[in-house]
Amino acid sequence: MNPRTRFRVNTPTVTHETIDGESVIVNLGTGNYYSLQGTGAQIWALVEQNQSAEAMIACLKHCFPAAAGEIDLCVPRLLGEMLEEQLIVAEPLLGAAPLRPEILPSPGAFETPALQKFTDMQELLLLDPIHEVDEAGWPQKKADVTV
Amino acid sequence: MSIAQATTIEADRSCDHLPRAFFEDCQQAFESAAEAAGEEERRLALGGYCIRLRFAGRALLENLSRAFAHLAAPPDRTPDLTICLWDGESTGRQPPRPQWREHASIRGEVEGYNTSRFYTTYEHEAGGFTLFDAHRDVANVWVPAARCVPYWVKGSPLRTVLYWWMGLHERQLVHAAAVGNSLGGVLITGKSGSGKSTTALACLSAGMQYAGDDYVIVGLKPPRFTYALYTTAKVCANHLHAFPHLTNLIDNPQRLDTEKALIFLNEGNLAAQLVSGFALRAIVVPRVTGLLHTRLRKASPAAALAALAPTTMFAHPRGGAHDFKRVAELARTVPSYILECGTDLRQIPQAITALLETNGGSPGVEG
Repeated sequence: MNPRTRFRVNTPTVTHETIDGESVIVNLGTGNYYSLQGTGAQIWALVEQNQSAEAMIACLKHCFPAAAGEIDLCVPRLLGEMLEEQLIVAEPLLGAAPLRPEILPSPGAFETPALQKFTDMQELLLLDPIHEVDEAGWPQKKADVTV
Repeated sequence: MSIAQATTIEADRSCDHLPRAFFEDCQQAFESAAEAAGEEERRLALGGYCIRLRFAGRALLENLSRAFAHLAAPPDRTPDLTICLWDGESTGRQPPRPQWREHASIRGEVEGYNTSRFYTTYEHEAGGFTLFDAHRDVANVWVPAARCVPYWVKGSPLRTVLYWWMGLHERQLVHAAAVGNSLGGVLITGKSGSGKSTTALACLSAGMQYAGDDYVIVGLKPPRFTYALYTTAKVCANHLHAFPHLTNLIDNPQRLDTEKALIFLNEGNLAAQLVSGFALRAIVVPRVTGLLHTRLRKASPAAALAALAPTTMFAHPRGGAHDFKRVAELARTVPSYILECGTDLRQIPQAITALLETNGGSPGVEG
C-alpha cells in the first residue's frame, strides 16, 4: 500500500456511527451496511482522522506490540476491503495529518479486524429505475412498457 | 438517480419553480375533483398531532382511512397537516400532465422535483403520486383509481407523507412493531421476516397493549415515547395457525397464496388493547431460533442501530443519513436486547413483561 496515501470516509455516500466501540457503516449508494468491532472500529476511527496506512500501523503497534506481525497484514487487508466496498477513499498524503491522542486505541486485547457485511437492503435499491413515460407523461415500469 | 443523489436536496429557492407549479396545479385539480364528487373529511390524532384527511369523493375513503380507525381526533381540533386524497376514475378529474421527462428512482423520488420545500414521489405500485409542501403543511395524494391501491397500502396508508412530515416535527417513523403495558413499551425491530409481527401478535394475544406490527412513530426528544400508527397486522399465511382467534379479522382471506394476511385488529375483541402509545423502555431485536424456550440477552446499541436504521431509511423516499443519525441517538439512549424467540410463543410476552417490570426496561438478563 502506497505510504504516500491517506484515507478518508467516502462522504456523503457513506454515513456511519460508532457507539460503545462498535461502528455501523452504511453505503447509501448500494444499500449495503457493515459492522466493525474492537480493533476494526479503532481502525475506522483512524480513517475518520484521514490517517495513512503507515500511521495506522504505527499507532496500533504502539498499543499492541505483541501483535505487530499481524497488524502489518490486517490493516492493509481491511483498508483494501473498505476501498472495494467504496466506504473509504484514498487520496494523496500532503504532509502528516495530526493524530488526535483521544482516539488512540485503549489498552486491551488486539482482535483481528473483520468487516461484517449485510446485503439485505440491496433489493430495495438495485432494481432498474424507471426510464420511460406513457402518453400522459407518467413513468412506466419497464415490465409495463414491454407488455 | 441514486439514493445519495436523491437525498441531496437542492436548497436554492429557484429550484422550487417546477415542483411548485406542479403542486399548485394538482391542488387546483383536487379542489375541482372535490367539488365534482363531494368531500369527506377525517381527523386523526397521530404522534401527538392532528392530521386532517380531505377525500374527494368516497372511493378512497375505506382504503386509506380504515387503518387509522382507532386514532380518530375530534372534528374541531385544529389540523397540523392536511392531506388531500383523490382518484381520477371516480371523480372524473385528472392531474396535470407532469413535465418531468427524466425518471423516478426505485423509491419514487422524481428528479428535479424534490427541494427543501417541495417533496415529489411517484408511487410505483399504485401508479400515482404523493406531493408535499413543507411550508404550508399540505400534501396531495393521487391514484388513477381506488382499485390501484395495493392491499398492503390499505394496511399502512399514507406512510410516505407521514414519514416526511413527522420527520420535520421531532418525530421519526420507524420500521418496527411496538407492544407494552402500563409500565411502558418496547420497539421490536428487524428486517421483514425477522419475527416482528409474530412477536407483536404473541404479546397482543397474551393481553398486552399493542401499538403496531410494522411501522410506528417515535418521539425524538426525551422522554422517549412511542406512538401508534396503524391498527393492522400483516402475517404470512403459514404463521396464521398460531393465531386462530384472528382469522375472522383477515381482510383478504381469498388471496393468501400471494398476499400476507391483512388483519384489522380494531374490528375484533382485541380492540381495547390497541393504544395510542406508551413510554419507550427498550429496543428488542427478535431472532427466531427454532428452540423451545425464549430468552432475552443484552444487545449492543450498534446491534439495535443495524437492525432498525437500514430498514427504516431505505424504505422511504428521501430517507437517508438523517434517519441514520436519529436512530443512532435512539440506540444510544434506550437499552437494547436480543429476543431469542422460541417455538413456545407463550414465553415471548412473558419475557417482554419481565423486561418492562425490571427497572423500567433494564432487567438483569444475562449479557
